[in-house]
Amino acid sequence: MNLEKVISGFFIILALTLNFGFFYGDPTVLEQHNRYELFAAIVVNLIATIYKLGDKTHLGAVLLATSLVADIQLIAAASVWALGEYVTGLSTEMVTAIISLSGGALLANIVSVVLFTGDVLKSKR
Amino acid sequence: MRNNSLYLIIKRMRTPMYVLIATFSISILGMVLIPGMDDKGNPYHLSFFDAFYFVSYMATTIGFGESPYDFTYPQKLWVGFCIYLTVIGWLYAIGSIITLVQDKVLAAQIALAQFQRKIKKMDEPFIIFVGYNSMTKAIIDRLTNEGIHSVVIEKEEEKIKMLALENYTIEVPALVGDIRDPNVFRTAGIHKHNCRAVVSLFNDDVMNLHVALSAKLMNKHVTVIVEATEDEYAQNLKTIGADIVENPFKIVAKRIYLSLKSPSLLMLEQWIYGDPLVLRKKDKLPKEGKYIVCGYGRMGTALEVGLKRAGIDYIFIEASPKKAAKAKRGEKVIVGDADDKKILLKADVQEASCIIAATKDDLLNLSIIMAAKRINPDIYTVARENRINDAIVFKAARIDRVITIETLMVKKTYNIIARPLVDRFIRLMMYRGEEWAKKVVSMLKECIGNNPETFETLIDEDHAFALVNHLRESGEEIPYETLYRRRDDYKKRNRLLILYVRRGEEEILLPDDSFPIKIGDEVLMAGSKEVFEDVEYIMENINELCYVLSGKECQLSFVGKYMFGDGR
Repeated sequence: MNLEKVISGFFIILALTLNFGFFYGDPTVLEQHNRYELFAAIVVNLIATIYKLGDKTHLGAVLLATSLVADIQLIAAASVWALGEYVTGLSTEMVTAIISLSGGALLANIVSVVLFTGDVLKSKR
Repeated sequence: MRNNSLYLIIKRMRTPMYVLIATFSISILGMVLIPGMDDKGNPYHLSFFDAFYFVSYMATTIGFGESPYDFTYPQKLWVGFCIYLTVIGWLYAIGSIITLVQDKVLAAQIALAQFQRKIKKMDEPFIIFVGYNSMTKAIIDRLTNEGIHSVVIEKEEEKIKMLALENYTIEVPALVGDIRDPNVFRTAGIHKHNCRAVVSLFNDDVMNLHVALSAKLMNKHVTVIVEATEDEYAQNLKTIGADIVENPFKIVAKRIYLSLKSPSLLMLEQWIYGDPLVLRKKDKLPKEGKYIVCGYGRMGTALEVGLKRAGIDYIFIEASPKKAAKAKRGEKVIVGDADDKKILLKADVQEASCIIAATKDDLLNLSIIMAAKRINPDIYTVARENRINDAIVFKAARIDRVITIETLMVKKTYNIIARPLVDRFIRLMMYRGEEWAKKVVSMLKECIGNNPETFETLIDEDHAFALVNHLRESGEEIPYETLYRRRDDYKKRNRLLILYVRRGEEEILLPDDSFPIKIGDEVLMAGSKEVFEDVEYIMENINELCYVLSGKECQLSFVGKYMFGDGR
C-alpha cells in the first residue's frame, strides 16, 4: 500500500463528495445548499489540485486539468455568492448561477475520479 | 517532457502551498464560526467573504484593522492564534520561493532550458566545439567573423563565464557538461541535420578518441575533426571513421622538411595558412651541418621522420630515459637535461648548425636556446612554443624560428571548416612537387603580387545566378576565361588566378582558360578583394555577364524570356 496514493485518493474523492453535497437540492432555493459545504469543497479541491501538481505523466496532466476546472468553477460560484449578497442582492437568477457553477465543477470532479480509478485498475496490483 | 525546471519548481512548491491552504482555511473557518457583535450590540457571524478578506490582509501582514466591526474577546483570542499560524505559513511560503529562485540546481535547469531553446531555434549550419581553451577560442573568433555559428561544450563553469564575457557578433551558445555523458552531445544538437562538424582539440588523445567515437555513433553524417598526436590513436580514430585527424607535429615536421627541400611548396603552404607569399629569414634553415633536437617526445619523433627524409645529420637529447629507450636502433639519442652545458657540449653544439628545442615545457625550451647560443652564437635556433600566452617572452629571446603549435592548429582547423577547398588544395599540391610549386608561385607573383588572397565559391543559383541561368538556357559552353575579364573593358584581364576546380570526384589544378564552366563546380581562386567582387558581379548579374561575354550591352536569350513572355 502506498500512503501517498491513499492520501491523494482521499482528497480527490472527498472533493467530489463535498461538491455533490453542496450541489444536491433545489437549484433555486439557496437554503437547501450549505455555505460551509461550499467552503470545504473549495479547500479540499485546492488541496487535491496541489497533489496533482508536478506529475510529469500524461495522465497526471489531464488530472490536473480537471482539478483546475473544478477549482475555477467553485471559486466562481463563491464569488457570485459574495457579489449577490453584498452588491446586487440574491435574485433567483444569482442562486441558480451559483448552483449550476458548482454543478459544472461536479462534472469535472467526476471525470477526475473516473480517471483516477481507471489508473488504479490499470496498475493491476 | 523535456523542460524539467518547471516541474522542479512545482514539486518543491507543493509543501508551502499545502501549508498556506491549511492555515488560511483553518483561520477563515474559525472567523466564520465565532460569533461577533455589531455596533448596535447585536450578535452576528462574519460571512465567508468577510473572513476571507480579513484573513488575507492579516496573513500577508498588511493589517487594515478589524472589520466589519470591532472584534469581541473570543474573536480576538482566535485572531491572536491565527496571526501566528498564518504569518508563519506565509513567511515560510515566501521564503521557499526565494530559496528556490537562488537554487543552483534550478539555475542550471533554467540555463539548460535556454540552451536547448537556442539550439532548437538554430537553422543555420553550426559547429560543435568540445572544450573551450585558447585554441578553440581563436577558431570561434575567426568563424564568427565569417558568419559561421558555433556551439561550445565545456566541463568547467568558470570557462563558460569567460566565454559569456567575449563579445561575439554571433551568439555562441555554451553548455556546461561532461562529454563522457552522451546526453550532453544530444543536448548540443549533434543529431540536427544542420550540425556540420564536431571539433575536439584536447591535448589528451584518449579524450579526443572518446569524443570522436560518441560523435560518430550519434550522427554518422557529421564531420569529426580531432587532434591526435600519437600514431596508435590516429589509427584508432581513422578506423572509427573520424573524418579529419590533425597532428600538429606532423605539420611542423613537414614544414621543416619543405624549408630544406622545396621552398616554393613551403611558400605556397604558408601563404595559404595566411602568411605573405615570400620566403623570410626564418624560413631558411641551414641546409648543411648537424641538427640538435632537444626532446624525443611526440614532436621529436615527428621531426625525426622529416629530417631523415631531408637527409640531414641529426642527434637527439632527451631527459627521460624511458622515452629515449623508445628510439629505434641506430638513432643517436643522448640522455640528459638539454639545458645542461655538459650535455650540449657532448652533442657537439659548437659544431652544430641548428638547434631545435622541442620539449613541451616553454621555459625549458627558452633556456635550451639561451644555453646553446652562449656556446655557439652562430647557431640557427628553432623553438617550440606551446602556449600562445608565452609569445612575448619568445619574441624577446630573438629566436630565429618559433613554432607555435596552437596557432598552427587554429589555422588548420579554421581552413578545414571555413575553407575546405583550400585545405584540399594544400594536399593536392604536395603531390606535385617543387617544380610545379615554383611555377605557381611565379604565376601568382606575376599576376597578383606578393600577398594574394583566396576566395572560394560554388557555381550554383545562390552564388552565380546569372551564369547558371545562362548555361541552362543557352546550352553554350562558357570557358573559365570569362571570369578573368574585366568589367570596364572585357578585353583586359583581371589580376586573378583560378587555382583549383572541384567537379564531383574530378579535381583540376590550375584549369586552362578554355576549360568550360559547369553547374556545381567548386572554385578556388587567388586575387584581391576588389577582383573577387568583380567575379561575383559577373556571376550574379545578367548585364555584367552579358557585357563580358559579348563586349556590348545586349540581351541574352533568357533575359528576353523573362521580360517579354516566351522569348520573342
